[in-house]
Amino acid sequence: MTEPLFDIAVGGASFCAGVLGSLIGLGGGIIVTPLLVLGFGIDLRYAMGAALCSVIATSSGAAAAYLRDGISNMKIGMFLCIATTVGAICGALLATVLDQSVLAVIFGVALLVTVILSLAKKSESRLLPEESDPLAIKLDLPGELPEPDGTKSAYGVAGLIPGFCVMWVAGVLSGLLGIGSGAFKVLAMDQIMRLPFKVTTATSNFMIGVTAAASVGVYLKKGYLDPALVSPVALGVLAGAFVGARLLTVAPVRLLRVIFLGAVSVIAVQMIRQGLR
Amino acid sequence: MNRLSTLLAQVMIVGTMVSAVLIAAGLVWFLSAHTGENPGDQIFSGEPKYLENPVGMVRRALDLHEAGERRSLAMIGIFLLLLNPPVRVLLAGAGYLLEKNRLYALISAVVFVVLAISFFW
Repeated sequence: MTEPLFDIAVGGASFCAGVLGSLIGLGGGIIVTPLLVLGFGIDLRYAMGAALCSVIATSSGAAAAYLRDGISNMKIGMFLCIATTVGAICGALLATVLDQSVLAVIFGVALLVTVILSLAKKSESRLLPEESDPLAIKLDLPGELPEPDGTKSAYGVAGLIPGFCVMWVAGVLSGLLGIGSGAFKVLAMDQIMRLPFKVTTATSNFMIGVTAAASVGVYLKKGYLDPALVSPVALGVLAGAFVGARLLTVAPVRLLRVIFLGAVSVIAVQMIRQGLR
Repeated sequence: MNRLSTLLAQVMIVGTMVSAVLIAAGLVWFLSAHTGENPGDQIFSGEPKYLENPVGMVRRALDLHEAGERRSLAMIGIFLLLLNPPVRVLLAGAGYLLEKNRLYALISAVVFVVLAISFFW
């Protein structure tokens, strides 16, 4: 395929990835990379670089909305960003030395795990602020969630050290695979730190962009960012996420989730097979 | 912190929109000179050094004689996009400093330094 047809096709595919990502609650980044690699035969490194830029674009848009509503817990986000950014640099450096086929296999596995995580039943078990991890209290992390009726409900923070460690791993994955690794961040905050769902989603959106920015510096130095590819991918995913967020209220989300999570699993297996070939 | 959150949100939205417009313009500008060519992303070859730093990008983008380097304009937009998170952290840190919350000003500073290291080592 030649230009400009190539960029139009890539932009269109990225747009679809963005719509899907926001409809089924996965990031656009983790869907767009396999599309570029398997569908367009693009080198995994260029694909990861482009996907990571699109992650930063969508995270900036989404995080802005949450910040305005006062749902994100900036202190928790900032504190955990120490773990994710350091992890991201480690991951990005690791990506530059690992073999492409190994990366493809790890990518496929991470994608499968993401699908499983998003299918798993979640239960919210909030803590009272005074039941928090003592270290979390010392760091002034417990916060208040604005409820729809205008009141505020206080929540506590559990397991700060284990949460911090899982965040480091999420950062490594982000840098290693060029993804936002939102699913892993949410896992740490929901299940380990026991934050309310809304706070988790909002805060992880703030963190995803900052984490991705740490890896992208390394990618830039290693020549993973081809502007001619990043442009259609970032614009496509950004526009797609914007449209997807608006479709959320009208689309049959449950049905779509089942269909597309199935499709994403197939793509994940294809990535693993490509790596093993 | 509320006013700061609003300011942060505005910076993020405006920053993203400006960079999206630049990227779109850069893409059209680039494609108009490269119709019919192969994109070449199937084989990894790295990227030229001038695309790594802002000065190099701006110089190349302004140099209209080099049609082959039209990617620079899009790269400036991309770079703006990538600056969004560090600016976010910097503004949050400044906000904490104004609130005299030393602990969180310090934590924000640590995150900012890590980001700076990843961009400029």
